[in-house]
Order: sequence, then structure tokens, then C-alpha cells
Amino acid sequence: MVHDLIIGMAGSGGDGIVSAGESLIGAAAAEGYFAILTKSFGSQIRGGESSCRLRVSTRKVLNPGGTLDVAVVLNWEDFLKFGAELPVGPDTIVIYETKTGVEPAAIPLRGVTPAAVMAVPMEDMALKAAGALLAKNNVVLGLLAGWFDLARDSIPAGIRKKFAKKGDAVVHANEQAFAAGLEYAAKNPLPVDRRLSPAEAGAGRRLLTDGNDLCGAAALFAGCKFFGGYPITPATEIMQYLGREIWKRGGSLLQAEDEIAGVAAAVGASFAGVKAMTATSGPGLSLKTEVLGLASVAELPLVCVDVQRGGPSTGMPTKPEQADLFAAVFSAHGDTVRPVLAPISVEDIFGITVEAFNIAEHYQTPVIVLSDQEIAQRKEIVAPIDTSGFKLVERLRPTAAELENYTRFRFTESGISPLSHPGMKGGNYLAAGIEHDERGAPTASGEMHARMNDKRLKKMDPLRQRRDLFVVGDPDAAVGLISWGSIAGVTLEALQLARTGGLKIKLLIPKLLYPVADEIYQDFFASLQKCLVVEQSHQGQLHRLIRMWTSVPAEFHSLARSGANPITPAQVLAEIRKLAGR
Amino acid sequence: MSVECPLSPEVFTAKDYRSSLKPIWCPGCGDYGVVTAIYRALAAIGRPPHEIAFISGIGCSSRIPGYTTAYGFNTVHGRALPIAQGIKMANPDLLVLAAGGDGDGFSIGGGHVPHAIRRNPGLTYIVMDNQIYGLTKGQLSPTSARGRKTSSSVYGSMEDPVNPLLYVLAYGASFVAQGVPADMEGLAKMIEEAIRFPGFAFVNIQSPCITFGDPETQLKTQKKRMRKLADEGHDPANRLRAMELAQAYSETLYTGVFYRNPTPPPTYESLIRERQQNLAGPVAALEQLLQANGTENGGLAAG
Repeated sequence: MVHDLIIGMAGSGGDGIVSAGESLIGAAAAEGYFAILTKSFGSQIRGGESSCRLRVSTRKVLNPGGTLDVAVVLNWEDFLKFGAELPVGPDTIVIYETKTGVEPAAIPLRGVTPAAVMAVPMEDMALKAAGALLAKNNVVLGLLAGWFDLARDSIPAGIRKKFAKKGDAVVHANEQAFAAGLEYAAKNPLPVDRRLSPAEAGAGRRLLTDGNDLCGAAALFAGCKFFGGYPITPATEIMQYLGREIWKRGGSLLQAEDEIAGVAAAVGASFAGVKAMTATSGPGLSLKTEVLGLASVAELPLVCVDVQRGGPSTGMPTKPEQADLFAAVFSAHGDTVRPVLAPISVEDIFGITVEAFNIAEHYQTPVIVLSDQEIAQRKEIVAPIDTSGFKLVERLRPTAAELENYTRFRFTESGISPLSHPGMKGGNYLAAGIEHDERGAPTASGEMHARMNDKRLKKMDPLRQRRDLFVVGDPDAAVGLISWGSIAGVTLEALQLARTGGLKIKLLIPKLLYPVADEIYQDFFASLQKCLVVEQSHQGQLHRLIRMWTSVPAEFHSLARSGANPITPAQVLAEIRKLAGR
Repeated sequence: MSVECPLSPEVFTAKDYRSSLKPIWCPGCGDYGVVTAIYRALAAIGRPPHEIAFISGIGCSSRIPGYTTAYGFNTVHGRALPIAQGIKMANPDLLVLAAGGDGDGFSIGGGHVPHAIRRNPGLTYIVMDNQIYGLTKGQLSPTSARGRKTSSSVYGSMEDPVNPLLYVLAYGASFVAQGVPADMEGLAKMIEEAIRFPGFAFVNIQSPCITFGDPETQLKTQKKRMRKLADEGHDPANRLRAMELAQAYSETLYTGVFYRNPTPPPTYESLIRERQQNLAGPVAALEQLLQANGTENGGLAAG
């Protein structure tokens, strides 16, 4: 019995392989497992190669994992196109379609001998059981349920639900295909036992969701009443989710004519007094930059989610990367500090999005949430979200006394001044991108500009003390890791493996990337001789950003890789061993 | 057709809308007349200044919100319309004005105009059209005439101008008018009518630049050149005739209402309210949704 199973499947667009993955994760959720499902496609809109990777476990899943435990190959040509995304190793069980005419002893994998190779006539079984080639993916589900004891009881319910609209005959045919797979597995046992342990008894309900939907739900929870955006992969689902839901809670949504208009409308809504949001991906972030600067200078709260994808320019829209950090931090002209937050998992995007609204409202500033394609679009089974622990922050409004002689940009000790909105009598003021004095009147005075810059920058200082936005490990280890975003889930697992292996090590996961919390880094570095920053960008952007703002240990290494080249826990562990000299 | 804006028990005069900021405009600039006409139109309507949001882009004319006592927002170049729409969507009760120059509205921000028109938000868009970039000291603008010599076209422009009137009519704007500061009474009435119009209203104001503008088009020539559409017997319900007259943008200075749609489409904010009301029903608490087991769309959709 195993506690954790990584299954990779690939085929052509019409093979229904992604649909099979979705059925599996739905069934796994129903049985109380934790899981992550990632999908990967060629760039075609329909057809072409498609694949998915399901990691299912009795415990919380931190990342999609590395080498596959099970490889399902509907066709070798498509499978091999995914290369490092679906790695096969000596412990992998390979299941493939007999029709491809490859001998089990001659499967096209260079330098690897899998633990077992099972050639299965899936197409013939589908035709025989269901009378349709299309039912092939349910044969696959039957094989997986049979061989790995995976959600055997819940899959049929999923099949019935999925095909209910198509009538009894279709439901029956697909049930037959599933049964054929089960039967084949029973008659042809695996040479190795890889059955998955049952989920913990009393595991309770599980929530199956993805980062984009959960980000939208978090926005609603935070009280977001306006969304302005434009379709862009892989961020569009945030707008789609809110397009279904925001109206029900008294808000509104604008699918704007372009990215600039989307963020501009959100800034307008914020000026009008409501919590507002926009969401985009890299190219859209570039376009929104000027308006984000306006929100900084006019001191208006705004949340901008950037779901990172491979860049620059169009780059790789369907692949994850963490290379927008520099853009999020630096893409503004003039002196500005714009808080940048990053969630580390689907579950985490809820709290991070809520916190982004809180920071935006409290500090009257745009906040960028750096999600990524991995978090945004992977399906994850998470424990139900307990919202009772979240506090919601509202912007500071002027008091009646302050409205008697309202001074919008009044210099205060904290740098935060009360913010009125149209409709509030006595609060009338001029908001502007142009430099202004305390009352909002335009100015060209160098002295006033310096004072206003100081006000706008110093108000962010308390953020650098937000220890709750950092996660740390063993306080006195000499070797440390830093990682952020979805890759932090990989590093977290590597840390656990290293500790299990007897290594003393600690890990810092900054969820607040900017402003750089220099003191928190200094405390982390205090015991360190060596540190490794693990991230998914060619330049190692966080590695460089930290050095810009604080001093670092003598050995400050970077493990950085361009997007769409998975970093696995095993690879991180190997680097840790090198650093620790073990 | 017009709608009555909600009246406040207070009575306002033009000077209640005038702020203490001194305009940066050159003496003799047409924009002085425009802001005065706006004060008068707002006084006639009588909404208190704090219920008015006045949004602009960048340029000489875009300084205008600061010269009023309304909530002003002097934003970035070309984006006044999307920002104004966000404001109107977030709070439909506000009286929303957007303003800017011809460069702001028909060059850098030109892509936003058709979309504002097709949504039909209840806001008034005032363009102070001077056929020049004044703030940057006299370059070609999108409405500069072909052949015009400016600091950025010393040998003359090689492009035809944009025709703002035809542009908005072609995209289906329901209220289209053109005015001149030289005819203060007509201009104030026109702006008032635009504000009262239920939907997107566009007012093009020929507001000459005294410093870099063509001497032939200055304020003092306007009274002589202007031809009131009312005097020409134009029926503002006739869209095709309006488009025909609008073609004379560069030659004949028509003033008045070119087009007023007798059956305008619903305003964007009325549709928003309707949708909010229709969907408001019993909504599952978000806390409950976040507990739910997986469904096909991720388990987070409310019933």
C-alpha cells in the first residue's frame, strides 16, 4: 500500500485523457483524499496532444510531484512530446495502448527500465464494452481503479452524473467500459503492489477547486464590488467566476475593451468608494502599468492579480513561470512602492487575495498578487476553508469633524490620510496623477514633491514587519532555502525529505515579496552559512531582488530555471545535499 | 426627451461650482468659456457638488475638474472614459462628467470612445477641440487639418483629421452636439441638455487655442462663423441628416444638437441594477460554498 500516487496520462486531443483526470480527482475528493491535477496541452485550441498529471494522497499535497508512479500512454508520439513534464523512472508502471504496435521490451524511453510495462488493448475493450472508441478513457479509469484501488466506489457515480444528460444508453455504455477496465485489472495483476491506502477515516468534506475560482471567491469574501478586466490566458477564469457571482452580491463587472480600460474602470470604482479588482497575465500587466502608477499617486486602493505565464511578450501562455517579479516590483516610472504578494498553493490564494484587499484598503495603494498558471489552473482538493479566521479591513474614512475642513492628502505620522468618495458631503477633493499638495491642488514644487513621495513611501514601511506573511523552519540551521509562489510547494517537500534524511535545514517562504522585509531576511540569515533560492525564472529574480535590499550570507546560491521546465522535490533535495556536503 | 435629475432642497448658483484654484490656461483660451458654461449648466440642474464626479485625462483642458467644486479626478492621458464608467458602475446615483481635449479623446484615448457609446452609460463627455496639442506647445493633433504646419509638422500635415462628430455618430451615440464658448447661453443650455439626456451624451466644443491655434478660428471669429442647427431647420431626430451635416466638420461651424435619439437604448447602469436585482435572490453564504464538496465548476458557484 502507498500513501501517495502520481499518475501521468497523455494522448491526442480527442482521447478524453484530461476528462479522465477530472473524473479521477472528483472521485478522489468524494472519498476524502487530497490531490492536485495539472493539465498540459499543445498550443492548439482543439486537437493536438494533451496530458494531465494527477497526484493523489492521503495527506495534503504540496506540489504535482516529480517522476511518475504510473504512466498511461494512449499513444507514444503524444506522450513523448511532454518530455520532462511526464518523467518515467525505474519505479514507474507504464500502461500503454497495445494498438501502437510497440513491444513491451522496446518502449521508446531512453535509458530507463520501468518497474512494469502493461500493454492493454484499451481501444478494443472500449469498442467491445461500449461500442464506441470514445469510451476508451473510462476503460483507463477502470484499469486505474482496479490496479491501484483508486476511488473504485466513487468513479461510477461520477460517470453517471457526467453522462446523465445524454441518456441511459450512454451512461450504461460508459459504465460497461469502466467495468471492462476493472475486470482486465483483476485478471492481469500488476507484478508490483501499488495500491493506494484508503483516505483517513472521517476525513470529512473536501473542496475541489482551482486557483482562479478560489481567487474570485476570495475577492467576494473580501467585499469586492467591482471587477474590470479583459480576457487573457491563464487569468480569464477569475473574470468568468466573478461574472457569474459578483452581481448576486450587489457588485458589477466590466469586460473592458482592453487591459488598460479594465484597470482604469477598477480605479474609477475605487475612487467611487468600493473595493475593486482587476486580473491579468504578463502582457496585460505591462499594459496596466501607467494606470497602476495613477492609483499609487492618487492613493487609491486596488487589487491587481497577475497570473504569471511564460514570457516575455506572448511567451508561453499555457505554461507556468515566475518571471514577472521584476515587472510587478519595478514597472512604474517615478519613485513608488507597490506591495507584491504571492500565494504558494491553490488553498493559499484565498488568504493571500483577502490580505491583498486588506493591504490595499489600509494603505490606500494598488497591490499586486503574483499568482501563476500552475496555481491558477490546476485543480486541487483542499480542506474546507475556515473563513472565521480572516479579518476584513476597510479604508480609513474622514470623520464628520475632518469633513468640516477636509484635507485629502494630509500629512500624518503614518502617511495614511482619510479617504472620502463622491457622495460624501464635505469630502470633495481633486484626485490626480499630477503631483499635488495636501488639499489635492496641482503643484510643481520640488519640496512638496519630496514630502509627498516620503508620505507615499513611508506608509508602506510597517509591511516590512509582517512576519505572518513569511513561513520559516529550524531557527539554528546552517543551510537555508528560500522559495516563493507555486515552487515553494516543491521546496517544502524537499525540506521534509531532507529532514527525514537527517539534514538540519530551514526554509523561508516570503508571501510578501515587496517591499523587501529586510529585517525578516536578516533574522533568517543570522544562523546561515549557505542559502539557496529556488524559483522558476531564468534570471533568478527573487535571488537578485533580495540582494538589492539586504546583505546576504557568503554563499547565496540560486536554483533558477525558465518556466515550463518543472523543478521537482528530488532535484531540490539533490542541491540541498550538495550544499550540506552530504 | 429628457429626464429630471433628483432635486436637492438646496438651491445652487453657478459660483457654488467654481473652485478657488486659478486656471493655468492662457488669457483668451476658449476653455474659460467652457468651464463657465459647465458652472451654469450644473446650477440649472441643481445637484450638490459632492454628488458630482468630474473626470478628465491629460492636456490643458483636462485641468478642468480642478476648477470646479465637484469631486474631481484628473487622471492619465486618454483614459477618462473608462475611469468615468467604473465610477458610474460603482455608484449609478452620481452625476458623472468626463472631459478632455481632442488628443485625449480621439488620439490616445480614441479606442475607448466606441465602447463607451455602445454601453450607453449615463454620463456626459465634453471634448474641448482645439485642433492642436497646446500643453506640449503646439504639435499636430488628431483633428488638425491636412496641410497644417505645426512644430511637429513643419512641412505640413500629411493626414486627414478625425471628424469627432461623425466618429461618434457612426458608432451609434444617442446624443451628439457641438457648441462654442462665444455663444455662452447656447453652450450652457446644450451641456445642461446633455447631462439630462438618459445615456451617453457627447458635446464637442470648438474651444480655440489662443497661443498655438489658427488665427482664423479664434473666439472672436466664432459668432460670425457659427450656424445654429436650429436655424437651419435641422430635425435632431434625423440621424442620417445629422451625419450629413457632421461631414462639414472642417468647413462649416454648425452649433446645436446634431442628433438626439428619440428612443435611446437602456442605460448601462439601469441594466446593471436590473441584473443585480434579478440575481439578488437567496444566495448561498460564501462560507457555505467554501465548505462544499467538489462540483463540476469547482464547487464555488452559488445557486
